[in-house]
Amino acid sequence: MSFVSWQYFIFLPAVLILYWLLPARRRLLLLLAGSYFFYACWDVRFLALVLATTVIDYNCGLAIAGRENRPWQVLGLSLLPGAWVLGCYVLLPQAGITASLLSISLGVGLAFFGAHELIRRLVKDQRAKYYLVLSVVFCLAILGFFKYCNFFVDSFKSLLQGVGFTSDWSLLKIILPVGISFYTFQSLGYVIDIYREHSPPCADFLTFATFDAFFPQMVSGPIERGKNLIPQLEQGASFRDSHIQDGLRLMLVGFFKKIFVADNCAILANYAFDPQTSLNGYWAVLGVVAFAFQIYSDFSGYTDIARGSAKLLGIDLMENFRFPYFSRTPSEFWGRWHISLSTWFRDYLYIPLGGNRGARWETLRNLAIVMVLAGLWHGANWVFVLWGAYHGALLILYRVLPAFNRLQTKDGPWAWRDLLAVPLMLLFTFVGWAIFRSPSISHLGLWFGALGNWNPAATLSWQSSALWLAIHVAPLLLLQILTCKYRDEASLAHVPWAARGLIYTLMILLIVSSGEQDKEFIYFQF
Amino acid sequence: MKRLITPACLTVLCLLVLAEVGARVFFAEDISGRFDYGYNPQAGFAEHADGTVELFRAGGRRFYPQTFQRQRPPGVLRIMTVGDSVPRGPSLKGAYPGLLGQELRRRDIPAESINLAVPGYGARRCQIVLRQALQYNPSLIILHFDDYNKWEDEREWRRSQEFKGWHPRHWLMKLFIFRRLYEAKMEKVFWPLVPEEVRLRYAVNDADAQVAAGADPKEVAARIKLAYDTAVENVALVRQRQIPIILVTQCRLEEDAQHRLYLTDHGLDQLGESLKGPGVFHVSMKKVLSGQDIKSIFTNFSGHLHQAGHQVLANAICEKIKAERAALGQTGPNVAVAGTSPAPQTLTPEADPVPGKP
Repeated sequence: MSFVSWQYFIFLPAVLILYWLLPARRRLLLLLAGSYFFYACWDVRFLALVLATTVIDYNCGLAIAGRENRPWQVLGLSLLPGAWVLGCYVLLPQAGITASLLSISLGVGLAFFGAHELIRRLVKDQRAKYYLVLSVVFCLAILGFFKYCNFFVDSFKSLLQGVGFTSDWSLLKIILPVGISFYTFQSLGYVIDIYREHSPPCADFLTFATFDAFFPQMVSGPIERGKNLIPQLEQGASFRDSHIQDGLRLMLVGFFKKIFVADNCAILANYAFDPQTSLNGYWAVLGVVAFAFQIYSDFSGYTDIARGSAKLLGIDLMENFRFPYFSRTPSEFWGRWHISLSTWFRDYLYIPLGGNRGARWETLRNLAIVMVLAGLWHGANWVFVLWGAYHGALLILYRVLPAFNRLQTKDGPWAWRDLLAVPLMLLFTFVGWAIFRSPSISHLGLWFGALGNWNPAATLSWQSSALWLAIHVAPLLLLQILTCKYRDEASLAHVPWAARGLIYTLMILLIVSSGEQDKEFIYFQF
Repeated sequence: MKRLITPACLTVLCLLVLAEVGARVFFAEDISGRFDYGYNPQAGFAEHADGTVELFRAGGRRFYPQTFQRQRPPGVLRIMTVGDSVPRGPSLKGAYPGLLGQELRRRDIPAESINLAVPGYGARRCQIVLRQALQYNPSLIILHFDDYNKWEDEREWRRSQEFKGWHPRHWLMKLFIFRRLYEAKMEKVFWPLVPEEVRLRYAVNDADAQVAAGADPKEVAARIKLAYDTAVENVALVRQRQIPIILVTQCRLEEDAQHRLYLTDHGLDQLGESLKGPGVFHVSMKKVLSGQDIKSIFTNFSGHLHQAGHQVLANAICEKIKAERAALGQTGPNVAVAGTSPAPQTLTPEADPVPGKP
C-alpha cells in the first residue's frame, strides 16, 4: 500500500480510530497487524522475510544480552516465516508460492535455529560476538540474495567474459522485496546497539516485531534506532491534540512535495534520462535539475508523510532531511540528506573502521569505503557504486584541498563565502544526481557528452519545459525559504495563523491540481 | 479535543467551503451537468417562457452563446450544425455555419444557422447533441464527420461514470473546485508547456494515451469504424424525422518526409459517399479545399481552419444547397415546395413530422 493511494486514506483513519480507542497494551497488537497488512498489500509472500529478520534479531538481541530464549521458543519463532509461507501456500494459491520456496523458508528457519543452538552449546567465551555475527550473516545473506545476487553474478560473468572465458549462466528471477534495505538495516542497528551496550534488548516479541515492521517507516525509512522507537512503543502515548495537528501538517507538506513537486518534475527527468532520448546540453541540465528536485521531494515527502502518520499515533520518528540543497560542503550535505542512513553508516561502519581517529590516510580510506558501500546500498547497479565513490571523492577533496577546506564552516550564521559555497556544492550534487539517475555507465557518458552540444535545434525545445519545472519548484523553494530558519523542514508554527491557513489551502489546491494517479516513491526500489 | 480545530485549520475549511459553495451558488447553471462530461442529454439548452431557447456553456458543452425561437419561424431555413472544434471555428461569425447563414441570406434565402459544435466531441457525444437539436425543428442538419475524437469521447465517458460511482478513489474530485482545478491545469498548463514527445513517451495521462493511439494503425481503424457506425446511426436518426442532412467529411493538413503539405481524409470521404442517399448529401472538405492555398487556410497540422477556409467551406455548402435544391426541396425565399419534391427531403417547416415537438 502506498501513502499516495486511496487505500491509505481509508487504512490510516481506521487504524487511528481503533488505536486511540484501544487500551495501551492492545494498541501494539493493532499496530503490528496493521503493519503486516500494510506490507502484505504489496506482496504477501515477502512478509516472510520481514518475519525472518524479526525472528533472527529478536533472538540474537536477547542472546547477546545473555538472556537467551529457551530452545523450544527459538525453534517456534524460527519456524514462523516458514509457517507464514505454508499458510500462503495453502490458503492463497494465487500468491505463486512453490514447494521449493516453502522448503527453503523452512530450511532457513531450521538453519538459524541450529546455528543459534550450536553457539549456545559450544561457545563458552565471547558468545555475544558470535550471536552478533550470526545476526549479521543471516540478515545480510537475505538482503544479499534478494538485492545483490543477480548483480554480482552478472558482474562476475562479465568479468569472466572480459578475460576470455564464456559462461552460459542464466540469472535467477528474483523480485526485489519492497523496503528490504530499510528494515534490514534498522534491525541490524538494533542488534549492534545491544552488543555495544548502547541499549537494552527488547524482551517482548510483540514490541520488537512492531518496531521492525512499523508501517509508517518500514518501507522507506527513516531507519530508526531501537533506543528511540522501542521505548515509545512500550510506553504508549496518551492522546494529545498536538499529535494530530503536527501529524496532519507533516502529512500535508509531504503530499505537497510528493504529488505536486516530485511527480511533476519526474516527467522531465524521465524523458531526459531515457536512453531513447537524444540529448543536448539544455535537456541534460534540465533533466538533472528536474531529477534533483524530484528525488529530494519524493524522498523527503515520503519521510514527512511517514513522520506525520507516526505522529498521529503519538510516536516521534527521527528527521531525515534538513534543507540538503542549502549545504556548503559534502559533509554538511550528508548531515542533511537521508540523515538516518548517513548516521547509520557513521555509527555502524565508519566509526568501527576507525573513523577519523587514525592517520590522515586512514580517515580518507574509511570515508571512501563507507561512501562506496552507501552507494551500493541504494541498488545493485554500478552507477550507484560510482555515485557513492563520487561522493567519497568529494568528501576527500574537501578535506585535502585547502581551497575547498576553507569553505567548510560549522553550522551557524551564513557568511559571505556561503554565496560561493552553496552554489558550488549544489553543482557537485547535481553532477552526482546525473550519475545516480543514469540507467547505466554508458548512458552517463552520453549525458556528459550532451553537455558539449548546445545546439538548440538538436532536440525538443526546452524553454517551455523549463517553465513547467519552475512552476513546480518555485512553491517548494518558497516553502523552504519560509522555514529554513528552523530545524524542521515542515515547521510552519511560526507563521501567523491566517497566513498558515492560506498556505495550507494553497498546498491543498496545488496537490489536487496535480492529478489522480498513484505514483510510487523512488526509494521503494532501494 | 477542542484545540484540534485551530484557527489555521478553520481558515482552510472556510476558504475551501466558501470556494465550493460560491461556485455552486453563483455558477450553478454552468455546473449543472458539468460532471456528465457531455453525456448529459439536456445540458446547454435552456428553454425560456418567452418561447426562446438559449444555448450556453454547461455540462461539458462549450456552445457559443446563441438564442433562437423554439418554434421555427415560418419560411425560414433552420440549419443546425453538429460537430467538433472544426465547425465550431474561431468565432461564431467566423465559423462556416455562421458564414453559411450569412451567405444564404445574402442570396435572399431566409436562413438561421445554429452552431452546435463543441470542441473535442466525437461521434458518440455528437449524437447526444444531435438528439437535442432534433427537438427544435431543423430544416437541415449539417453533421461534421470526423474520426479524431474517439479517445476523448471514451475518456469523458469514463470520467462521467467514475464521477457517478461510489469508489473512494474519486471522492476528492467530487468537489467542483478540485475537479475544475485539475482539469484547468491539465488543459492550460500541462499540455501547452510539456512537449508532446515527452508526454507521449510516458503516456503520463489519458490525453497522451490518446495521442499515442493516434499513431497506432489498429486504433485508427477502430476509431474510423466507430465513427462510421455512429454516423450511420446519426443519419438514420435524422432521416427517421425526414429531415435532410449534409455530411461534411473532415480532412487534415499533414506533411510528408520531404516537408510537402498534403490533405488527408483518413478514408472518411469514401464513407461519406457510401452514406449518400435520399435526403443525405455529402460535402468533402478535402475536395473543397484542394484547389486552395492550403498552407494559408489551415491553422496548423490539423483540421482547424482560418476564417478564409471556413468561408470557402461555407460557400461550397451553400452551392451544394443550391445544386441539390430540387432534392432538398428549397427553391427560394419563402417558397413552400410541398408537392414539388418528396416530402422527406423538403427543407420547409411544413415538412416537420411533429411540429414543435421532439
